[in-house]
Amino acid sequence: MAKVLMKGNEAMALAAIKAGCDAFYGYPITPQNELPEYLSKHMALNGRVFVQSESEVAAINMVYGAAGAGARALTSSSSPGIALKQEGISYMAGAELPGVIINVMRGGPGLGGIQPSQGDYKQITRGGGNGDYYLYSLAPESLQEAVDLIKESFDIADYFRNPVMIAVDGLIGQMMEPVTFDNETPKWELEPKTWAADGDRSNREKNVINSLYLDPLMLEKHNLKLKAKYDVMRDKHQRYEMINVKDAEIVIVAYGSMARIARTSIEILEEKGIKCGMIRPITIFPFPDKAFRELQDSVKNILVVEMSTGQMLEDVKIANECERPIHFYGRVGGIVPEAEEVVSQVLKIIGGEDNA
Amino acid sequence: MKRITIISGHYGSGKSEISVNLAINNKIDYLVDLDIINPYFRSRGLADLLEEKNIHLVESTIKGMTGSDLPYISGEGVVPFVNPDITAIYDLGGTENGARVLIQFLDRVKDVNEIDFLCSVNIFRPETADVKGILDTIAMYEAETQLKITGLINNTNLINETEEVDLIRGEKILIEVGKKLNIPIVYTVVEETKKNFNHKFLGERITLIRYIAKKYL
Repeated sequence: MAKVLMKGNEAMALAAIKAGCDAFYGYPITPQNELPEYLSKHMALNGRVFVQSESEVAAINMVYGAAGAGARALTSSSSPGIALKQEGISYMAGAELPGVIINVMRGGPGLGGIQPSQGDYKQITRGGGNGDYYLYSLAPESLQEAVDLIKESFDIADYFRNPVMIAVDGLIGQMMEPVTFDNETPKWELEPKTWAADGDRSNREKNVINSLYLDPLMLEKHNLKLKAKYDVMRDKHQRYEMINVKDAEIVIVAYGSMARIARTSIEILEEKGIKCGMIRPITIFPFPDKAFRELQDSVKNILVVEMSTGQMLEDVKIANECERPIHFYGRVGGIVPEAEEVVSQVLKIIGGEDNA
Repeated sequence: MKRITIISGHYGSGKSEISVNLAINNKIDYLVDLDIINPYFRSRGLADLLEEKNIHLVESTIKGMTGSDLPYISGEGVVPFVNPDITAIYDLGGTENGARVLIQFLDRVKDVNEIDFLCSVNIFRPETADVKGILDTIAMYEAETQLKITGLINNTNLINETEEVDLIRGEKILIEVGKKLNIPIVYTVVEETKKNFNHKFLGERITLIRYIAKKYL
């Protein structure tokens, strides 16, 4: 199949089908509705399961059930809907269940608005639910990258037996771009799901899917087992792209749509003779702190740009280890910063007008 | 160009960008945004530009609600159907639900010959990649509105990656569709960045400026 022109939500839906997603459960919310709409037709055409549940809480618990039975399960929503799913997500992490959750972010808090936002960064990377857990979280900047990462995400979820979050904003969900579904994506070495409660008792003891451990010693052991998984994610599976960082005097840190816009800012700055680079986190958990150790001495300042009031900013501060001054620029409310706004912020920093 | 042009097509077929370009190029009086399907990238986001061009934008009556996805449009949408001095473009939403919005105005139609009901097609959209897909889309629009599609728009594109042969391939498919339905290709859309496409395409050429999505490309 050659390239086709698709809307982000549709492309992500088809990528899930290509990834072997067995079942989708979801409840409508703007700006991700085209995703379940597409799947409501195409999951059936491909002999898979589609359920529009009665609520977000129901949807995530259906994912829990399907994943527990060994299926590749998906849910999608947007910020307030993802907030509602947190209990189920925490239970999935606790019960070590794989699953993919797509969050097409919109403005908040509360009902907020329906325009794009990156305001769920902390909800995604710090866990919106209770307990010690993390989600492997991927933040693509284009439709093609979203498609490729979603194709891989079901493998990642199965590999770690942990939910994977695909974090995009409304812009990626709603925009149109040419995409191909033929790109080779990494295949993870997966073991058979011998833990699944699939009804097959022919040659095994009964499997129990649960997140309840009333014996503190057992729960501690379980918590440490989970921590070991998150440590592997942090040590071995950080993903990021270094853009134009060689000899750069300033480096932008941005992810998703914001990184895409910052690419244009970097081009504009290049024309003005200013060497600006970018660290683009592709995983937001694990946060790519390794990228900061690759920066050369030429980099005098760091500028974090987000469609939030500064949520990733804290992770950048931790990764920076007080090495360089960190500046911040963000727009909120559903307003998407234009490339020129980022350019003028960079010019201010270089001109000494913005002191970190 | 007829007094009233209604632009239909699967969502993502370029209806809004085409509507805005046609309205500006032809100094149309009213641009009626009937898109209650898409929450983003709608012609109503261009209120300032359209005002500057003296084009009256009809959208929701709740002003300043570009962030609203309420399925609600102003009653002013009927004006071009009752006032024969006003030229208008109607920008429909994709899907059958988008088409349905138009129905409320159709009992006001005095002379059906004053209306062009066009279907925009991009063969790179999976649902309209072949003759059958396009015929199904048209049949859906006609069934929902009880109005016959009078012409086709060849909007074959992969945004920046479009090549001239793509548009030619789109044209071939649309010629077949046109033969089956006995309707012409009324416009061919060529991006302003692809002015070097010299092929003589069927219908009038629209040199498209992306007013709505420009800054994100």
